[in-house]
Amino acid sequence: MLEIRNLHAIVEGEELEILKGVNLKVNKGEIHAIMGPNGSGKSTLSKVVSGHPEYEVTEGTISFEGQDITEMDADERAHLGLFLAFQYPVEVPGITNKTLLREAYNTIARANEREELDPLEFEDYLVSKLEIIEMKDEFLNRSINTGFSGGEKKKNEIFQMAVLNPRLSFLDETDSGLDIDALKVVSDGVNKIATPENAIVMITHYQRLLNYIKPDFVHVMMNGKIVKSGDISLAEELEANGYDQMQKELA
Amino acid sequence: MSSVSTKELIHAYVQLPGVLRQNFKELRSQAKDNLDNCAFPTKKDEEWRFTDLKSITMNKFESVDTGEAHIDLELDEYHLPESMNSRLVFIDGNYSPLHSAIEGMPDGVIVGNINDFPEHEQLRSHLGTMTNYEDDVFVPLNDVNFQDGTFIYIPKETVIEQPIHILNVFTNLNNSHFVTPRVLFVGEMYSKATIIEEHIGLSDNVYLNVPVNEFRLYSGAHVHHARIQRDSKNASHISRPVAMLDAHAEYHSYTICLGSKLFRNEPRVIQNAEEVDFTVDGLVLIDGKQIADTHSIMDHRFSHGNSHQLHKVVVNDQAHSIFNGKIFVAKDAQKIDSFQENRNLLISDTGKVNTKPQLEIFADDVRCSHGATIGQLQDEEVFYLQSRGLTEQKSRELLVYAFALESVESMAVKSVEELLLKEVIAYTNRD
Repeated sequence: MLEIRNLHAIVEGEELEILKGVNLKVNKGEIHAIMGPNGSGKSTLSKVVSGHPEYEVTEGTISFEGQDITEMDADERAHLGLFLAFQYPVEVPGITNKTLLREAYNTIARANEREELDPLEFEDYLVSKLEIIEMKDEFLNRSINTGFSGGEKKKNEIFQMAVLNPRLSFLDETDSGLDIDALKVVSDGVNKIATPENAIVMITHYQRLLNYIKPDFVHVMMNGKIVKSGDISLAEELEANGYDQMQKELA
Repeated sequence: MSSVSTKELIHAYVQLPGVLRQNFKELRSQAKDNLDNCAFPTKKDEEWRFTDLKSITMNKFESVDTGEAHIDLELDEYHLPESMNSRLVFIDGNYSPLHSAIEGMPDGVIVGNINDFPEHEQLRSHLGTMTNYEDDVFVPLNDVNFQDGTFIYIPKETVIEQPIHILNVFTNLNNSHFVTPRVLFVGEMYSKATIIEEHIGLSDNVYLNVPVNEFRLYSGAHVHHARIQRDSKNASHISRPVAMLDAHAEYHSYTICLGSKLFRNEPRVIQNAEEVDFTVDGLVLIDGKQIADTHSIMDHRFSHGNSHQLHKVVVNDQAHSIFNGKIFVAKDAQKIDSFQENRNLLISDTGKVNTKPQLEIFADDVRCSHGATIGQLQDEEVFYLQSRGLTEQKSRELLVYAFALESVESMAVKSVEELLLKEVIAYTNRD
């Protein structure tokens, strides 16, 4: 589904390399976790894959469903079925969740030559997805993330994911700042969305999230590269010994 | 006033009628004397230093009585469904009974052409009493020149449910014509009304539009006043709307600037007794080489007044927005709560914004706050929407739309809100 080969990236206009040759392959039905200390490049990876214009790929390729998407705009990647749940969801006063999602859903439908939904059909469809994150109807008519608590913002990201039904989702630090109740709601939501037909890459600093969403693969990222891959036991090892210990071992 | 010799007289730019117009001779003759000693503003005047007046000074305007009935002029598309029986239409400054419709007003209410009531006591005692703009040429120009105009009188405790639509239409006259719409509104105690004042240019011709409004609200009177400026893209529009409020009066005004090459708006609200509440909101959407300048005054002369001003501006291309918001609080005017905010969104690299809050507070127990921001669309906002599948263009449009929306939502009349939403969409979808 996703294949990243020798990916190097910089912040546009700067020299410092943040990704220094990332390789990653994700197949459908898989759940991956990318762990790493602060500044290791894991959030950058999710932004580069989703097409953030702030970054420039200097070497390597990203292919998705057999297409090279390395130079595509963010919206074209979304049309192919890529989704990024933001670490810091953006507040957009004046545009409701419903307006954004209808525009997004129908734009993606058009791009894939699927039928668009009219306002009434779409309303029903939206309401049917609300239970995934245990939110009330009024949530739909609020301005995007405006005045939301940290937990509500993260739930909103998962709600958008449920509505847009992407093939591959990057969840960037979706667990950060969540109390235990909110973490349960969010991870239950993600588990409901996960199917054998789609795939999920979680990016996280802590092992905590992985107690609720079980990954098939765990990767450790350090200094702009994936330095070690394994199964859930790798996360347990990290939790027990910390990133410093692993860095020493690898050195 | 600075010396006349260094400046050009107003007569260099505007040709007025040779003889004084018949009605309101006293007002006109005094205004004429003022004009003879008045100079046209230049950038050397503090109040005009950012405002390029070339669109006026490059032309010579002429006052014309067209007297035309415009029988064939079709204006249905500009009529508001809420005001089908409460509409006054002025075509190039002339009242058009043919296009107007006033029916079923409550007893004692007057909504009509100012020239039909020249001896009315309320008209005589109010006209020209609120507009003492300092060193000003534009009010006297209007005083001398206005032909027809709006007179609205609402008796005590009378509520007018339907909004009154004052529609100023500018046709495609060949000459650079000079038009001076006039409104006098008198609302007695606990009366209530909604006024939609609109200026529409039907083509892209050059004209100079200098409206003067006087709104007198007696105790407990409530007025919603929307002003929609959709003048020709080559017109100049210099506005002088004044409202004077007695105790417990409420005046909420919204000015929407879409058209004209040059727009200078100087709204003033005067608190004339204790406990009033007023709003002076604005929305400016400009592009090309448009200049939109708002110089407002919220004048608190007595205690216990609330005032609120949200002035939102979107600037595209080489357009230029100027905002100067004055809040005056007199020495004994305590417990004033006044809030002013000017938010500017620049969506081109060549647009320009000047903003200056100006608070002059002489009382010691007041709460006055102000804020001004100038920003561009944030890349992170655009990326967020784009990552959900919206094109970059659509994402930017939606963000500009959202920015402008706040000012439109408070509009009291449904069809006006819809009209403005269409205008906002047209502005953001321009390319």
